[in-house]
Amino acid sequence: MAIAERGYTHWQGTLGTGRRPWRVIAGQAIRLAWKRKFFKLVLFGSLAPAVIFAAGIYVSERMEDFKEMFKGAEKFLQTNPAYFQAYFGSSFLIFMMLMIMVGSGAGLISDDLRHNALPLYFSRPLRKRDYIGGKFASLAFFLLLLTLAPGVLFILLKLIFSGSFKFLAEYPWLPLAFIGWSVFISSFFSLYTLLLSSLGRNRRYASILILAVYFLSTVFFGIFFGIFHEPAFCLISIEMNLRQLSAAFMGAKPQFDVPWIYSFLILSAIMAVSVLVLRKKIRGTEVIR
Amino acid sequence: MNIELRNVRFSYGPIRALDGVTLQIGEGACGLLGPNGAGKSTLLKILLGFLRPESGEGLVLGHDILKDSFGIRRVVGYMPEDDCFIPGLDAVAFTSHFGELSGMPRAEAMKRAHDVLYYVGLGEARYRLLETYSAGMKQRLKLAQALVHDPKILFLDEPTANLDPQGRTEILELISDITSKKDLHVLISSHILTDIEQTCRSLVILNKGTVAAQGELAALREVRFSLYEMKLKGESGAFLDGLRRRECRVEETEDGIVKVYLPQTVEQRDVFRLAGEAGIQIRHFVKSRTSLEDLFARTVGVD
Repeated sequence: MAIAERGYTHWQGTLGTGRRPWRVIAGQAIRLAWKRKFFKLVLFGSLAPAVIFAAGIYVSERMEDFKEMFKGAEKFLQTNPAYFQAYFGSSFLIFMMLMIMVGSGAGLISDDLRHNALPLYFSRPLRKRDYIGGKFASLAFFLLLLTLAPGVLFILLKLIFSGSFKFLAEYPWLPLAFIGWSVFISSFFSLYTLLLSSLGRNRRYASILILAVYFLSTVFFGIFFGIFHEPAFCLISIEMNLRQLSAAFMGAKPQFDVPWIYSFLILSAIMAVSVLVLRKKIRGTEVIR
Repeated sequence: MNIELRNVRFSYGPIRALDGVTLQIGEGACGLLGPNGAGKSTLLKILLGFLRPESGEGLVLGHDILKDSFGIRRVVGYMPEDDCFIPGLDAVAFTSHFGELSGMPRAEAMKRAHDVLYYVGLGEARYRLLETYSAGMKQRLKLAQALVHDPKILFLDEPTANLDPQGRTEILELISDITSKKDLHVLISSHILTDIEQTCRSLVILNKGTVAAQGELAALREVRFSLYEMKLKGESGAFLDGLRRRECRVEETEDGIVKVYLPQTVEQRDVFRLAGEAGIQIRHFVKSRTSLEDLFARTVGVD
């Protein structure tokens, strides 16, 4: 019998106090993103390089079998830090991460602002950090699928195909580098997306901002670098900063002769600003003073 | 007392929204009445911990509004004034999501979401995307999410706003059913007098950020003033002026009836004495039930 036919009835359970609301928010955001066909297409497309690089690891261990097929490409198929830097620092991967942010993150906060959902969230026992953390976790989840998950897979495949631990003995820091870089770039893109999503009440506006800020920074870098030929201008480009830093994490030679610490500081500053703005923008009610 | 506030003040910049609000709200359904800008929504937001008062203190079901907003939010269901939803979700996912956020286990939240959606009349539409809901359905949905975790007290902010007469009647019926439960209390903020009159037993009237009146609705109607309807014969100008001088409010209707609101300081015999002095006859003299509209107009000082 429907409850309406017998009036309001009470729930017999007890509300939990030890639950983590950020998990609920993250789960809901992941499910919502997964509903979109465009997003699924982008996500699966983004995994294509990981498949190719995994195949490359297999080929590198069976060079004798593929000698004819990959003649002249032997040096690109050596599984060393530069090989992994080619994956983690590739423009394509970074671009696809950006597209995933557009697909799953642009509306995360702007939709809540547009449809006044924040008072509903904060009328629950929820802190700002739970809300921001939940949204952050949903984005980081997808990004880690593109970075950490392939990284772990690469190491496992290398160990399986080589049949020895020689690779880990040569580069014992590499697993940590994979974890460190995956966490850093996922955190950066997640916070960058949440920041831009919180600036307006329109998902499209947020999407344009996410793409525009990223690409304009690279366009300006191209213009200044073309005029002055000064590598330090790479610091104004988000993409170049990410690539410089990925090279530093992987122990590979960076593209520009600029200390990686500057890129680290710039990207960290953007993350810090994002957290500050989010803490200020996210509240249960809009207060205009 | 369910809610107690003492000397609560809050300002939006230079505009003082609440100015020393002190009130006590008991059990059952209580109306929070006031004209637009009186501070009703601000008061609800302070009770929920969305806004921190500049001064003052208060308790909601024993939880301190300054120190224990989490405790308050566990026992309160809040239905905001504006349309609120998450695009891309259906009503079941939406309602269970907020049940989970309140601390319900996922499976329980899902089951309860179905129950409350049936209860508010959205059972058939519970798998439709929220973007396709009408204004009335969104209003019911807000009520469902406020009820999902079985709160002890409901804060309803303008629950009948933007509804057609049929939708308004249905929402009020739901609220009346909810308030019939002895262990579920409701605070309804509204500027629609008949809504409050229909659903509430007690009342707080806010005006310009201060409490203009509070108490049981029946008592408020009686205590503040008495309303009489009269028919007069003769030149009534001097008589009515005499009443006004004694701080009585006088209204003349089109059908020749004079409504006189007598403050507690003026008695019936004073009216007849004034009539005698003015040389007019009172042909009809009936004590009338004071409507909430009258009470509101007198308290807030508007016609």
